[in-house]
Amino acid sequence: MHSRQESRIERSEVEPNGFAITVDGVSKKFRMPKEKKLTIFDNLVGLLRGGSYAYEDFLALQDVSFSVQRGETFGVIGPNGCGKSTLLKVLAGVLYPDCGSFRVSGRIAPFLELGVGFQEELTARDNVYLYGAIMGLTKKDIDRRYEAIMGFAELKRFENMKLINFSSGMYVRLAFATAIQTDPDVLLVDEVLSVGDEAFQQKCSQKIDQIRSSGKTILLVSHDLEMVEELCERCLLMNGGKIVFLGDTKSALDMYKRMRGK
Amino acid sequence: MWVIEYRELIRILTISDLKIKYQSSVLGFAWSLLNPLLLMLVLYFVFSRAFTTTQDNFALYLLIGIVTWRFLNNGTSSSIRSIVGRASLVTKVFIPRQVLVLSTVLSSFISSLLEFLVLFALLIVFGVDLSFNLLLFPFVTAVYFVMVYGLSLALASLYVYYRDLDQMWEVLLQLGFFLSPVVYPITAVPEEYLKLYMLNPVTVVMQTNREILLYAQTAPASSLLFIALTAVLILAAGSAIFNRLERRFAEEL
Repeated sequence: MHSRQESRIERSEVEPNGFAITVDGVSKKFRMPKEKKLTIFDNLVGLLRGGSYAYEDFLALQDVSFSVQRGETFGVIGPNGCGKSTLLKVLAGVLYPDCGSFRVSGRIAPFLELGVGFQEELTARDNVYLYGAIMGLTKKDIDRRYEAIMGFAELKRFENMKLINFSSGMYVRLAFATAIQTDPDVLLVDEVLSVGDEAFQQKCSQKIDQIRSSGKTILLVSHDLEMVEELCERCLLMNGGKIVFLGDTKSALDMYKRMRGK
Repeated sequence: MWVIEYRELIRILTISDLKIKYQSSVLGFAWSLLNPLLLMLVLYFVFSRAFTTTQDNFALYLLIGIVTWRFLNNGTSSSIRSIVGRASLVTKVFIPRQVLVLSTVLSSFISSLLEFLVLFALLIVFGVDLSFNLLLFPFVTAVYFVMVYGLSLALASLYVYYRDLDQMWEVLLQLGFFLSPVVYPITAVPEEYLKLYMLNPVTVVMQTNREILLYAQTAPASSLLFIALTAVLILAAGSAIFNRLERRFAEEL
């Protein structure tokens, strides 16, 4: 068994208490060296000069606890550098928390960036299969979804074209379609819901609505307060790595606006 | 176990690595096979004069050395960048990060096996009698794979923190090339250093390959045991280093 997964992420199919995400006292500290040493040479020079390693600790998350119900659309808002993205990365399994624990039940699809792992030298088809495998799908799973992905992206004609020849619009359409069709239980979304032209955007928001109504859990990190207001039932307001408010979206937004007004 | 859970990703990454390596030129595939043969010719003309009488079949002796060495050389020098080179798969999504190293080593391994196929063809052409000792070849090759993978785990994770490690590793590989019996017969090594010299597991792998492929000898059990043990040790050390350093990969990339 892979030890990393054991220690940090507990996945279970049936969650007894109906929570999709439970976060309990998670803290994350970044070490910011005052002088970046990235080579052996730098380190040797540093040793010769004497002097200690100078680090500055930056507390990106401080004792964060909350839980998200299954089927809920949950917003995370706050000013730049408040720890939203760090929180998302911890939940996605990319960063290790220094202390605390968390649990995400079911398959997670992190939308931290579209087209993660895409390789320009490969064809659209190869990239769809690559992305599916990154999400932990088997070949059979991807075979079953392939037509739906190409249909949604409207790129069936270009399936054998290398990604390097794609326009940026085609690229994000393929990326979004692939990610959304992996059928995740929990979506972690960081500002990437609006891609492509207007027609495609509409299709995306329809798809999001459909996902919401099918009982999937969405955790949305965004600066787009209108979108948060429209989509989210509850919100977490963060500042300086700490939770400022946790509750209904309207109160959270009011408080955030007052906070910014100061 | 991550190897089983993510086998599809390992397969796809390995194949896409090979595709990208070979499709960039029409002759790409042929060149990668011609390369060791041409190297063999060059080294043959240079070194056959130096060690004329000592080795029969010196050309094939060289080729086995070259092909064996190339797996270590190509495997480690491509996998050292396997984490840094795919930063987005580390910082934007969760996958077991060993997958990146394993698939890079696997793609070098497949290339290496194709080179061994060419070698086998040449062994037949030159009329070397292949004995049942050939059956040991898969074992030796599997053990060698574990060594290279273990070494790659350590290199790839250290490279995340020390970005000049690849330059240093290149120099160390050059040194290793001459410290292993690739281009000279092992009899050229002075008697008093021989014990020390044979502690290099790559040397033992190379010699074992020659014994079972070229000289139809049964490799001594002690050699087989030695390489198997070192392979396990290297894998354990490599995994330990990797697991320790892996926790902060996403912060360093």
